[in-house]
Amino acid sequence: MPWTPFPTSAPDFERPGPWQFFTTDEATAVEAIVDRIIPPDPDTPGGKDAGCAVFIDRQLKGPYGSAAGLYRLGPYTKGTKEQGPQSANTPAELYRKGLAGLDRYCKANNGGKGFTQLSAEQQDGVLKKIEAGEVKFDEVDAQGFFDALLKDVPEGFFSDPIHGGNKNMVGWSMIGFPGIRYDYRDWIHRHNERYPHPPVSIAGRADWTPHKS
Amino acid sequence: MRKGPTIAVVLIALGASTGPGASADLQDFAAVERGRYLANAADCGSCHTIPGSEHPFSGGRPIETPFGVLAAPNITPDRETGIGSWTNNEFDAAVRRGISRNGARLYPAMPFPYYTRMSREDVADIRAYLNTIAPVHNAVQVNRLPFPFNLRAAMIVWDRLYFTPGEFHDDVSKSKEWNRGAYLAQGPAHCGACHTPKTVLGGDKPSEALRGYMLQGWTAPDITSGQGPLRNWSVDDIAEYLKAGHNKNAAAAGLMGEVVDLSTSKMTDQDTRAIATYLKGVTGMAPGSSATADKADKDVTAAGGAIFQDLCSACHQQDGKGVANMFPNLSEAATTSTQDPATVLRVILQGAQSVATDREPTGPAMPAFGWQLDDAQLAAVASYVRGRFGKNAPAVSADQVRKARAALTARTD
Repeated sequence: MPWTPFPTSAPDFERPGPWQFFTTDEATAVEAIVDRIIPPDPDTPGGKDAGCAVFIDRQLKGPYGSAAGLYRLGPYTKGTKEQGPQSANTPAELYRKGLAGLDRYCKANNGGKGFTQLSAEQQDGVLKKIEAGEVKFDEVDAQGFFDALLKDVPEGFFSDPIHGGNKNMVGWSMIGFPGIRYDYRDWIHRHNERYPHPPVSIAGRADWTPHKS
Repeated sequence: MRKGPTIAVVLIALGASTGPGASADLQDFAAVERGRYLANAADCGSCHTIPGSEHPFSGGRPIETPFGVLAAPNITPDRETGIGSWTNNEFDAAVRRGISRNGARLYPAMPFPYYTRMSREDVADIRAYLNTIAPVHNAVQVNRLPFPFNLRAAMIVWDRLYFTPGEFHDDVSKSKEWNRGAYLAQGPAHCGACHTPKTVLGGDKPSEALRGYMLQGWTAPDITSGQGPLRNWSVDDIAEYLKAGHNKNAAAAGLMGEVVDLSTSKMTDQDTRAIATYLKGVTGMAPGSSATADKADKDVTAAGGAIFQDLCSACHQQDGKGVANMFPNLSEAATTSTQDPATVLRVILQGAQSVATDREPTGPAMPAFGWQLDDAQLAAVASYVRGRFGKNAPAVSADQVRKARAALTARTD
């Protein structure tokens, strides 16, 4: 292909700001859920502070949320596990209906308390029951909703910060992933030695900007 | 001659039906072949062919000058819109004296001040070669300059100031190789057309020959043997660069990539080496005579160093030495240390593809970073590279980057 100036198709950078897909109540619930799936510990923030809810919000607003590019014309019969979700719901609809179902389930079983008002242990209990298929939602497959969370939350924790999650590259720092660096020839023969350079996002890192500018 | 505008091609076209035909003998294959070689050495096709066009030498390529845009005329043998009806004398006068068939003066975007160093036979041979090109009917409006530069009569004064006609004569005190190189560089290859500083009227400053100039959004670096970027390049390094487009120091891209592609890579090894021998003998700035450079402050250098480590070092290496014949050595590449940072900023902002030649067919490209770095960050990394590798070339400000970004976005090349 002939070269042209400015050849890069640059990615979109998600910016902090208002929720783009979730309502305020939905967002509060999702932040509580992501903090149970990846709870904070003394070394690393949890899913909420890492921005996993923001990541999912931006994804659901975008082509992932509308299942763009996926076959969606049915038939919608229950398939095997390997066939993945066989639902007419887009991921956006799955989350909207799943969060509504979760809210109704929690309130009905906890004296009117929603998911966010439960203790961490109670929240874990609810999520475990959903994961085990012991909970049914009215409009949507509850277990399928959990499956989506289990896929999307770690994506938010480990994907490049330009997508809204992995804030300050906390996920990469935790596992020692160096980000967009791409040349390790100097390190090939240096075994059992910690790689010293901090991770780098597509958007760079704080040290890229001169302090006084 | 009918009354008409100052557009040479129109007048040429009007006179076409009565002009005598070309006299060069199409069957003189040695002359045609010699002319083909010289037409490449003179890089005629660069301006007289629209890049990618299937009609070589049919003209129409806009040539950007400090005074406005000219379009290169059609020099195929078409009798109406090309030069098919020109006599050899008329062709010679245009190429070596800058005088068109109707007596009008050519603009020096046509490098006749260089081509004048060629012999009459050289130019006749180029004509013999051009006569073998398929004629293309393509009328080109050449003069697109704004007033007052559109007045060709002004060129009479310009010629008096800056044009020294006369063919090249060997300097008997120098080697045969040096003389061949001098002939090529000062004549057909017209190195100084880009690399020699110009006066405000666009004439060469002969006392500063080949010490670098800015054109078409690129820096043409100092290519003398003085304190310029090539001071550590050997004759072989220069010859290899001209022939292959790459050497252990640098890779040709942008305008020089085009020159290598269309011209120098098609020269013989003897000729590229001759040019290199000549260039190494051209005196440049003396040691210590360059201006004291502005240094970036420590925060900017720290940020630039972080960016260099994260984005640049994978190809150019931690020590900036790059990979021979693939990624330029930033300490020795000609454009890192130029006073004006135009090329450094351009290459970082929009990326660059080095030239692919028969000798080095890969043509590695550098990705663009303009989308990833803001003005302050880009200024920081450019300043870091110029300060550390560029023989203390001046630092670059965020404001310079902002302007360069705007200018490049507006460019069509």
